[in-house]
Amino acid sequence: MTVLEKATPIPAGRREWSEPVKRNLGLVGVLIAILAVGAITRPDLFLDLDWLWRNELLILTQASAIGVITVGMTFVMIGGGIDLSVGALVALTSVWCTTVATQQFGSLGMIFTAVVVGVIAGSLNGVLIAYGRLVPFIATLAMLVAARGLAQMISGKLTQRVDVANQFINQLSFNKILGIPALVLIMLAVGVLGWILLNRTTFGRRTFAIGGNPEAARLAGINIRRHLVLLYALSGLCCGIAAIIVVSLSSAGAADHGDLYELDAIAAAIIGGTALSGGRGTIVGSLLGVVIFKGITNLFIVNNLEQEYQLIVKGAIIVAAVLIQQFRVSSLRRRTSG
Amino acid sequence: MSVSDALSRRRLLAIGSAVGGGALLAACTSNEKKGDSGSGSQTVNNSQGDNTAPGKAVKIGFSAPAADHGWIAAITANATAQAGKYSEVTFVPVAAGKDVTEQRPAVESLISQKPDVIVMLPHDGAQMTSTGRKAMDAGIPVVNLDREFSDPLAYRLLIKGDNYGMGVAAGHYIGQKLKGKTNPVIAEIPGIDELQLTQDRSKGFRDALALYGLKVGPRIAARFTVASGQEVTANLLSGNPHIDAVWNHDDDQGVGVLQAMQQAGRKEFFMVGGAGSLDAMQHIKAGDTPLEATVTYSPTMASSAINLARLIAQGRKMSELAELQVPKLIILQSETITKDNVDQYMPLGFRS
Amino acid sequence: MRGTAAEVVLELQGIVKDFPGVRALDGVDLEVRAGEVHCLLGQNGAGKSTLIKVLSGAHRPDAGRIMWLGEEVSFARPQAAMRAGIATIYQELDLVEGLSVADNVFLGREPAGLGFVHRGRMREAARGVLTRLGHGEIPVDREVAKLPSAAKQIVSMARALSMDARLLIMDEPSAVLAHDEVANLFRVIRELTAQGIAVIYISHRLEEIRDIGDRVTVLKDGRTSAANLDAKGTPTRELVSKMTGRTIEYVFPPRPDHSPGAELLAVEGLSLAGEFHDVSLKVHAGEIVGIAGLVGSGRSELLETIYGARRAGAGTVRVAGQELRPGDVRAAVRQGLGMAPEERKSQALVLDDPVYRNITLATFGRFASAGFTSHGRERTAAVRIADELQVRPPGVERPVRTLSGGNQQKVVVGRWLLGGTRLLLLDEPTRGVDVGARAELYEVIRRLVADGVGILLVSSEVPEVLGLADRVLVMREGRLIHEAEASTLDEHTVLDMVMAGSLLETENAV
Repeated sequence: MTVLEKATPIPAGRREWSEPVKRNLGLVGVLIAILAVGAITRPDLFLDLDWLWRNELLILTQASAIGVITVGMTFVMIGGGIDLSVGALVALTSVWCTTVATQQFGSLGMIFTAVVVGVIAGSLNGVLIAYGRLVPFIATLAMLVAARGLAQMISGKLTQRVDVANQFINQLSFNKILGIPALVLIMLAVGVLGWILLNRTTFGRRTFAIGGNPEAARLAGINIRRHLVLLYALSGLCCGIAAIIVVSLSSAGAADHGDLYELDAIAAAIIGGTALSGGRGTIVGSLLGVVIFKGITNLFIVNNLEQEYQLIVKGAIIVAAVLIQQFRVSSLRRRTSG
Repeated sequence: MSVSDALSRRRLLAIGSAVGGGALLAACTSNEKKGDSGSGSQTVNNSQGDNTAPGKAVKIGFSAPAADHGWIAAITANATAQAGKYSEVTFVPVAAGKDVTEQRPAVESLISQKPDVIVMLPHDGAQMTSTGRKAMDAGIPVVNLDREFSDPLAYRLLIKGDNYGMGVAAGHYIGQKLKGKTNPVIAEIPGIDELQLTQDRSKGFRDALALYGLKVGPRIAARFTVASGQEVTANLLSGNPHIDAVWNHDDDQGVGVLQAMQQAGRKEFFMVGGAGSLDAMQHIKAGDTPLEATVTYSPTMASSAINLARLIAQGRKMSELAELQVPKLIILQSETITKDNVDQYMPLGFRS
Repeated sequence: MRGTAAEVVLELQGIVKDFPGVRALDGVDLEVRAGEVHCLLGQNGAGKSTLIKVLSGAHRPDAGRIMWLGEEVSFARPQAAMRAGIATIYQELDLVEGLSVADNVFLGREPAGLGFVHRGRMREAARGVLTRLGHGEIPVDREVAKLPSAAKQIVSMARALSMDARLLIMDEPSAVLAHDEVANLFRVIRELTAQGIAVIYISHRLEEIRDIGDRVTVLKDGRTSAANLDAKGTPTRELVSKMTGRTIEYVFPPRPDHSPGAELLAVEGLSLAGEFHDVSLKVHAGEIVGIAGLVGSGRSELLETIYGARRAGAGTVRVAGQELRPGDVRAAVRQGLGMAPEERKSQALVLDDPVYRNITLATFGRFASAGFTSHGRERTAAVRIADELQVRPPGVERPVRTLSGGNQQKVVVGRWLLGGTRLLLLDEPTRGVDVGARAELYEVIRRLVADGVGILLVSSEVPEVLGLADRVLVMREGRLIHEAEASTLDEHTVLDMVMAGSLLETENAV
């Protein structure tokens, strides 16, 4: 209590920008710490700048699918909801876009199918939530189960390889532009577009308003239901894009793609400062959260350590991030109220 | 008025195109290739002996888990195809759902239909033992496939693969090729590590390598899925700039493993697979990837199980054996498929 | 009970309670005797709720003495008051809806041995207490959520009784009850007082006070304005006069001399099941129409229905001749309606967002081009509004949470000002706003009206309605019962109508 009171008061008007930026700088600090641990444990590799560059690109490549999903998830969570179906939607769209029938239409046909199926399934989530008044947790949980089932039905539980004729999809995970893997560029593009949408458009403003106080938004004349549908459709769109990335990376569509992606995406968004209660969050923070997770995975595997340790470390990071967030919010409220 | 007219027309148009798009998308769920009869499942031809000769009509009940994995899908496909080869066999499959609690009532309803024999791949051998016993007590012989009951009285015949043997076979292949090399880096990519079968495979691998004075280096588990195979391998390759050999436990996840190797542009090592999928065999034959060999754990055991179940039900002997009855225990040899013998195995490869 | 000198159980002397900027209690005296029903009367804001919280241990007084059973006490926490034998039954009953009746009666005090709850003993005891209240028929195993509100109230009382309470404080218990349920409640209260338990009863309904009360203490502006009046014999005129004629100065800006303009809002036969019935009213440009009524009279619901936040069961709302689609807030906003709802924090503001974003919440789309927002233009506009309304402290980047109630209200009003709103619906605009800020808000409202905006104002504070409005509508139990020019009414008359007293009738009879 006394410590908090002694803390310097926040100058009026600076908080909105400085708080997320401070947090994101903290996340960058975590990334640097991961690199430092790498440099200590495997100096042979991490001090080799050529290797380091390639390894960081690898981490970003591995982060690209969940990164794209997390952008959608961040929108949904800022809007006060949650989307548990993202992993299953990746599976469904990956399977749908790699069926023999779809693959006849070439790479573009596959991309079109993935995107459209993702948007439709996401919209269905949104309609159930906005017009069917289902709790987001329940609606998207139902979608998780159903989409996974549909994916298994379509694929017959078999791995659907990408046809050699569909060069574009096949080559996507090999291509680089100016030395940067194409998949990483896709993630960055989605991130930049997401940032603009969130921070520079009326759509973003409505998202913050609805998540911050749905009743106030409604009474201010914002069409909440339509916006909710759009939010979940956006999340579905991101799943479709992510499915293309996963298909390209693994050269196949499968009903077991996207396993537990929903947890990774939610955890990354939370680490990035997105509030589960809505109204708060940043795209940059969420993407940093994803990269931290993938960086930890990489760090452990590069050290030839088993997964159980990295799971424990990841859990600890989630808890630490949330504790820091709560501490900041409560101290802020204490300082500014009364 | 005109505004609402335009609105409704716009709506109609939107609905119309949505329906059209939906139909198009629905059509895109098809996986039928033109001129592809489809099954890809394997049956056994007994070319010699009298076992193929038609016998009395029998009813064979069958239960296997609903799988999200190519191998188990192949089990069901193989059993179905094999049963279809005999005109006197009535094949009664029951859906066994996703866990023991769903399989148990399914098999019990099967028992009440009084088939002549039951072929069962249980979700969990120990937990389904009592159900197997119930069938045996009712006078219905049970052919226990792969996952072993804890009580031998619960089956008439046990056919299983050899997980330890798979590891041994892979270890021998790698050991012979790397014999005499100093400190070679041998990587291992198991499937889900919590499973007993994974532990058995890894132990066989270690034991066999030890015979050559070799040790397993980096060992990172994937999760039997293509995507996890890709992710784990990509990171593993990054952390180990030089590798001599890789054993990947499972050809399903192997699709992702190979993709990651290709993406990293790495080919200084050779790789051994596991299970024996068609895809793996094609790569072995083509020699276009580091995959040189795979050690089998073949779902063809389901075809054999149907064959033997038929003989048991008809009270016939195996033509190659002197004994008058089908034996009680068959453990399949884990075979090593290489470029030399791959043509021979190709018909047995399963689609993953 | 009257006439007998029963033991005094509770005595308050000079209780003072300060909140930042407001003195809520300014010397309250109260004396409660065993076995009596002592009624507390007072207008909204007179300090009744604060007094209850002091008694129940939720607030600590800044000055004054509480004598309980002859000893001076100080309750640090509500639990301390409960242990001493003072139980409070709030309007929002504090029951755990998912638990059974028995669980609720003994919540936190379950009879247990070795950590195991003796369920049998607990149910037995719960049944005993309910029987004592004359409601042995309430099943002790029933989930509380499945009980009607009257029964919930009984369960709440049973809990108090099971704690051996000697004083029961009931805050508007009849507000949630139907007519025959009130009679039943009174029967229970009489049984309790017969057992020597004292009851402090708070109600706005004079007829109830006449019925159940023994003595009345009237509060006004945080002070006791009359103590220990006879509940049955004191004339209505005297009771009402003790409540009115506030000493706090309402500084109303002078009424401008202009006649209202064209008709802006026309509501006809508007009904919402269970809330209000067949309401018709009109508001003209440049006119303030005030609605006086108690909480629960349907006034907030009426405003929300006009605004489209609730869907009317019947009737029409026209704005400048255009009929509004029922249940469509956006249509209302497009037609130039704006609302400052009763619950500012939960209904109007995004608390963690900066002031400027709250001001532009309804209008950010207008500052955008092709869907891209313009923070610069938004901020400039918001700064203009904030300056005009003198939102303090200055700085539109400050989270709106950090502002005082009055300044938060300015932000909400400013939102509609920016939107070019023609008709503003104000629901309790000065609730939680201190005196200085009130005067500023009144000033703002007047200026809006001078610019031709029409205002429909709801307030529980009768002087506010009379001081601001041109025309006053009185609402009681979901109906408009009276309409008159503000200049022809006085506080007495309106308060009497609002409280369902009998002043009008007696005056007419005379």
